[in-house]
Amino acid sequence: MIASVKAIAVRINRQFLRDRRFLGLSLMVPLLIMLLIKYVLDSLPGLERLGVHVSDYAMFFAAYLVHFLAYVLSTIVLVGDRTTGTLARMFVYGYRRREIVFGYVGGYSTIAAGQTAFILVLTKYLFDINLLPDIVPVALTMFSLAVVSVDLGVFISNFARNEGQVIPFIPLVILPTALLSGIAIPIGDLPTVLQWCSYVIPLRYAVEVLNAVLVNHQPFRDNLAPFLILVGIGAGLLATASFTLKERE
Amino acid sequence: MTPAAATPSSPAVSIEALRKDYGAIRALGGATLTVRKGEVFGLVGPNGAGKTTLIKAICGILKPTAGRVTVLGFDAGRDRYRLRRRLGYMPQAPALYEDLSPYENLTFFGKGYRTEDLRGRIRLVLGFVELWDRRDDPLHTFSGGMRQRVSLACALLRDPELLILDEPTAGVDPALKQTFWRHFQELKQRGRTIFLSTNMMEEAMRCDRVAVIRAGRILITEAPEAIRSRGRTEITLELAGGGRRVEEAAAYAEELPRLLSGYGLSSEVRRIRIRRPDLEEVILSMIGQKEAGAGKVKTHTGDDPPAGGTAPSATPEDHT
Ligand SMILES: Nc1ncnc2c1ncn2[C@@H]1O[C@H](COP(=O)(O)OP(=O)(O)O)[C@@H](O)[C@H]1O
Ligand SMILES: [Mg+2]
Repeated sequence: MIASVKAIAVRINRQFLRDRRFLGLSLMVPLLIMLLIKYVLDSLPGLERLGVHVSDYAMFFAAYLVHFLAYVLSTIVLVGDRTTGTLARMFVYGYRRREIVFGYVGGYSTIAAGQTAFILVLTKYLFDINLLPDIVPVALTMFSLAVVSVDLGVFISNFARNEGQVIPFIPLVILPTALLSGIAIPIGDLPTVLQWCSYVIPLRYAVEVLNAVLVNHQPFRDNLAPFLILVGIGAGLLATASFTLKERE
Repeated sequence: MTPAAATPSSPAVSIEALRKDYGAIRALGGATLTVRKGEVFGLVGPNGAGKTTLIKAICGILKPTAGRVTVLGFDAGRDRYRLRRRLGYMPQAPALYEDLSPYENLTFFGKGYRTEDLRGRIRLVLGFVELWDRRDDPLHTFSGGMRQRVSLACALLRDPELLILDEPTAGVDPALKQTFWRHFQELKQRGRTIFLSTNMMEEAMRCDRVAVIRAGRILITEAPEAIRSRGRTEITLELAGGGRRVEEAAAYAEELPRLLSGYGLSSEVRRIRIRRPDLEEVILSMIGQKEAGAGKVKTHTGDDPPAGGTAPSATPEDHT
């Protein structure tokens, strides 16, 4: 089991490092998006006068970006594995469902971790946020979020027969997340029904932790609940994905 | 006919009334066949006949709509994990990672089940497909035929007792195809069973037995020579007076004496020319559902040695 999971994770990372264009894009895209966000936020007049600190929001957007990229990436690549037949080959050559799901999560999590680290550094320098005191909780939260995103990707990939069919699933996850996670509208300002809905949005919990730690300067240990929920969602999705990964046509 | 098949052991593959529907599309409509241990078995049929679907069922990556698939004594659904350990599978599309080298691909797929002496095996199988020198180049720099070779190497990695090959020689050049076949025969000598699909008749000829599949149904399972002898042989009699008679016989070896006695076997008959259809024509006519004389022919079993002078004539006669 462990050896197989490791073999898959290693293979995925090797593929990723081999694909220069992909590697470049996965760093360029966050860079461009974070620059854009900074530019837009900076140009909004009067935000500072309202007591809103642009830098408070930066980390939320960074979290959103991590979530989005890890989710889309893992969905597309796993669906690709299905269409090229490499997934079927893995099954016949002895890889089991659970090993495959764990291997993918392991493999993409390392990629996502790299991307997350890059985004964290980017955010720090672009928005001049002093992350150092809170680096452990922030990194932990971001990494858990990345794992959740990969889990979600593995789960969703079961429903798409080819890469094209992945596309409808992207807004299905990404739009509700943008609206209900608290990054655009504070959850307290949403209608009650939508507040309930927000409980199933993984990003919501990450934003809660980041908000408490970075904006309100509360200690991480007082905000373990949302963090643990995030981890729990990750574990739940992981189990679901292992059971739902389709082995036989 | 095949030495290994003489032992009354359980069949390598046994498929009973296998049906598979993809929504409204019926890919397999009750296919039944048996593959004996130690034979080279060919599944022959046109595109879309259901070959790949049937092969997937054998490997346990297909959920049949109905029917039963037993492979090496295992149920291909329930016991698929134990079964796959003893299989080698070469899918129709190469199904390898383009960014990785052959060596990395084989290493990865060799680790699904623990493979004894994986490095040694990789060296051996890449050597066999003549790609050891290219072992470290990424696959996207390879031609289609080369990928096919890597894919075959991958299937041979664990020296499985049953090899399932989905169109293994498609896109492979003629010289290498010969090498492939030599290796298949060698594997057979070592007691391995090979199940392959093809739409190339000259390949079907080299199998011990062949099943012809069309539209999800197995039309016939027999030795290729036996299938061939089901075709109608055309016999042209040129008479002394300059006349000419054309006769058709389903099993010409038996038919010929009767035919000739009709002429009193006299000196009237100057020449007898015989044109037997080749396997491709017979199978194509079966697939085309044309009457191939299949109905009334006494079954020519494969142990009937190919009679002298049965080589297909190079001069096809046109008549009528
Ligand atoms: N995943 C699938 N979904 C729908 N139809 C399929 C699928 N796979 C195969 N088919 C259909 O089943 C039939 C048999 O296909 P296949 O087994 O691939 O044929 P062959 O390998 O002999 O060319 C074809 O009509 C094909 O279109
Ligand atoms: Mg096919």
